[in-house]
Amino acid sequence: MSAPVGQPSSLASPSGGSDPQENPPMRLKVEQASYAYSATDRSAPKFALGPASFHAQQRELVAILGPNASGKSTLLRLLAGLEKPLSGRIEVDAVEVSTLDLRTRAQRIALVQQESELLFPLRVWEYVLQGRYPYGRRLRFESEEDCLLAGNALAQVGADALRDRWMDQLSGGEKQRVILARALAQQPSLLLLDEPTQHLDIGGKVELLRRLRRLTDDSRYTVLVVTHELNLAAEFSDRIVLLHKGKCLRVGTPAEVYDQALLEEVFEAPLEVDIRPNGRPRVILRGH
Amino acid sequence: MRCFLIGSFTSSRISSLTSAMTRAWSGRQFAWIAAFVLLAGAARGSSTERAPSGDASTQTNNTRVVTDEVGRVVTVPAEARRIVSLAPNLTETIYALGMEDRLAGDTDYCDTPAAAKMKAHVGAPLSPSLEAIVALHPDLVLATTSINRRETVDALAHLGIPVYTNDPRTVRGMLDSVARIAELAGSATTGTEVVNQLRMRLDALQLRLVDRPLVHVLFVVWESPLITIGQNTFIADALRWAGAESVVLSKQNWPQISFEEVVRLGPEYIVLSNHTGAAPVEIERLRSSPQWKDLEAVETGHVVIVSDEISRPSPGLVDAIEQLAREVHPEVFGPQSEMRKTADGVSNQFALSSGRIKECARCAR
Amino acid sequence: MRPLTPRRVVTTCALLLFILFAIVVISLRMGAYPISITDIVMTLFNGAMGRRDEIPSEFWLVVFGLRLPRIALGIVVGAALSTAGAGFQALLRNPLADPYVLGVSSGAALGAILSLIAAPHTPGAIQLAAFAGAAATIAAVYFLGRRGGQLDSGTLLLAGIVTASFLSAVIMFLMTTLSGRDLRGMAFWLMGDLATPPAIDSRWLYLVLIVAVGSIYTTASDLNLILTGEQEARHLGVNVNRVKLVVYVAASVLTGLAVSVSGAIGYVGLLVPHVMRMLFGTDYRLLIPTSAIGGAIIILVADTLARTIVAPTELPVGAMTAIAGAPVFIYLMRRRMR
Repeated sequence: MSAPVGQPSSLASPSGGSDPQENPPMRLKVEQASYAYSATDRSAPKFALGPASFHAQQRELVAILGPNASGKSTLLRLLAGLEKPLSGRIEVDAVEVSTLDLRTRAQRIALVQQESELLFPLRVWEYVLQGRYPYGRRLRFESEEDCLLAGNALAQVGADALRDRWMDQLSGGEKQRVILARALAQQPSLLLLDEPTQHLDIGGKVELLRRLRRLTDDSRYTVLVVTHELNLAAEFSDRIVLLHKGKCLRVGTPAEVYDQALLEEVFEAPLEVDIRPNGRPRVILRGH
Repeated sequence: MRCFLIGSFTSSRISSLTSAMTRAWSGRQFAWIAAFVLLAGAARGSSTERAPSGDASTQTNNTRVVTDEVGRVVTVPAEARRIVSLAPNLTETIYALGMEDRLAGDTDYCDTPAAAKMKAHVGAPLSPSLEAIVALHPDLVLATTSINRRETVDALAHLGIPVYTNDPRTVRGMLDSVARIAELAGSATTGTEVVNQLRMRLDALQLRLVDRPLVHVLFVVWESPLITIGQNTFIADALRWAGAESVVLSKQNWPQISFEEVVRLGPEYIVLSNHTGAAPVEIERLRSSPQWKDLEAVETGHVVIVSDEISRPSPGLVDAIEQLAREVHPEVFGPQSEMRKTADGVSNQFALSSGRIKECARCAR
Repeated sequence: MRPLTPRRVVTTCALLLFILFAIVVISLRMGAYPISITDIVMTLFNGAMGRRDEIPSEFWLVVFGLRLPRIALGIVVGAALSTAGAGFQALLRNPLADPYVLGVSSGAALGAILSLIAAPHTPGAIQLAAFAGAAATIAAVYFLGRRGGQLDSGTLLLAGIVTASFLSAVIMFLMTTLSGRDLRGMAFWLMGDLATPPAIDSRWLYLVLIVAVGSIYTTASDLNLILTGEQEARHLGVNVNRVKLVVYVAASVLTGLAVSVSGAIGYVGLLVPHVMRMLFGTDYRLLIPTSAIGGAIIILVADTLARTIVAPTELPVGAMTAIAGAPVFIYLMRRRMR
């Protein structure tokens, strides 16, 4: 596979962080990670993800963008350690992800997906408390500290008032926040979100991204969001990873990545890119 | 909704008691250990139990070892004085032997003769109460393979109560069983007498039917689904003694057949066993049933309701055999009027048979 | 925020054990044989002391030969079925799952029938054959229920239902084509019957019960997470495949155990976990022990009623659970519809 197109210079030096003297450790390092699978035993392996490389720091919000079947989900699964990369390395806090055992991995990485249907009624605080599972023995009873951390997580997502409610009585947005709170209760270094804005209305989407931004800024998380939302990603993220047909095309700040020709080619739609006053690009349909 | 009302009230009391213990070790383990100890004690008690052979009520050492009809070796008293019968036919046999004063108890279903209903009951033949049996202090329990379960017999044996199981497969076998029961109850001579009388009646019947071809009948055990009897059943043997034979030849005991098959086989008589006691009603019902009415046997009125003794291996069986023989061999016994189809056909059998012998022109003997 | 503490687990279990003990006492008292509570206590006491000669042999017979073994058996069967039911409901992600849905009881029944045909007079043959049938079914459904090498809830459920139907058909076939013989006992066995003592020492039954329930209990936290979604549980560090295997084997063994000694008693495995959930919550760290003890209580009550309601005839305990179980089931269904 050819090398990713357009390696931005910002990869070479640590980015983000307002203090240039501070040298924050590399939170996430993806080096030439690729992944292939065979649909059946006999067919040739298909590359779901060509060699991809990018880095992410503490307090960085990275958006992973790309059209369908571009390898976003594969990349996310690799990042979460659910699959081993065919080649290359994925490191979180300088430890290769696929070598971690389940519990340690859950202590470092939290993956937020669309919630499955709950079988039996559960209260919000019980649900969030489950995020503490990776700490302690397998059959565990939660401690005071666990309750404290779970409470903090709820506060961080602004869902404190929902504490005693039943999970199946929450609205979509509220549920989203609670799921996020459970992920935060894991106290992860890396927070991965897979298309979290899918079922939310525009108000909900903005609120979620704002919250994620606040979390990234205030705490020590690194947040990676796989999304379709070009404009929200541009508005809220520090860096963008653009994927197309399994290849990592470009990594950089939104302004660097949102090149009209590139975007049009990738998304196969007539697009136009403006730069807004705050320096962030905006994508609109080129209409007539 | 969590219903904590009573639970939390009591649990707060118990919790103060158990909190001290839970501090010592994991409460979960404590609960399991407590349960285990409690039940292990019970299990130990039950597993070390082996009731003495014989019974508390028998003070004598007069016992003997016999092998019952299913091959079990049983230690029975020399003369059983408190017998519990687990089946109606056994109860009937005991009454026929005149030994009802030795009968300590029988089942809910024992209704022949009527006096049997007054005895202490131990439940249904299929599921008697073991405790009720024990409460009667029996020194012998009688069971039969025709209705009792092996599990019941095993359970009683496990408790050390002698159980004698009989296994009547044929009419002759039934007669042997009667003799044996008489012997177990200590009056072998009575048994011999009764059995001889029954044998005489059967032999007399054979004599009268000696030239007659077997009448083909369909014995209906159940109407829908249509179930009849197999060759190896007790009832089949009884039928043969009555000069009849089932049209269905099957190795299965209770074969289920289709009505078409019945039409094809063309039985001369339909035989039903009288469960409800309303014989004429049954015949009318068949006559008006769309399925049955066109059958030749039904059209010609060749429907016999025989006493339900036919399926019961007991002395009353012989009455049923005689009744059936009279019905299906009118040429030997004279036509049977509707009125004579009584529910149990017991009355007048001696009078009838002796009278008939005089009337029978063809009988040379 | 009041998370579950070990203390609350112990307290609740102690309460239920107390109720169980009370039912045991009542059940000991009830029966056709006239024996007073004083005599029962004396018999128990002397029995525990090993002083057998001081008791009339009939008392010994009734207490240690009839009532106590039946009570002990009922406790094992009730606890086994309810815990298995709770386990299967989590494993199959289906609140309607009961211990028999995966065909274990049909396999056991087939084993029992085959043993009645082949060795009708060997004591204990039925139970061993039933357990063997159950074990074979467990293995077969396991292999059928895998997808991609791992147990998959949907596939497992389908495999179980198909196996159960097939085995039931074979059993029907055997029962109708074979001559009457001793299959009379099968009707009782199929309904569920505690009257016949198993040839196996009940201590072994208890051992298996405790080991199996204990194994399921070690996965209780895992099950709580798995119930919110398998993927989510994996991301939280649960070894989902291992947990599923443990629960599958343990719950199936419990079912096989119960069915081998007492036939297929219905409704208990399905309803007791739901009732316990209503009373004590859905947390499996509490649900498993409460289901076990609750199941024991229910079976004891049902069996005591079964042998006293139409005394001296004894009803099969499965008939009682069915009579009571159906209305309870309807009530629970309606509550869920609220």
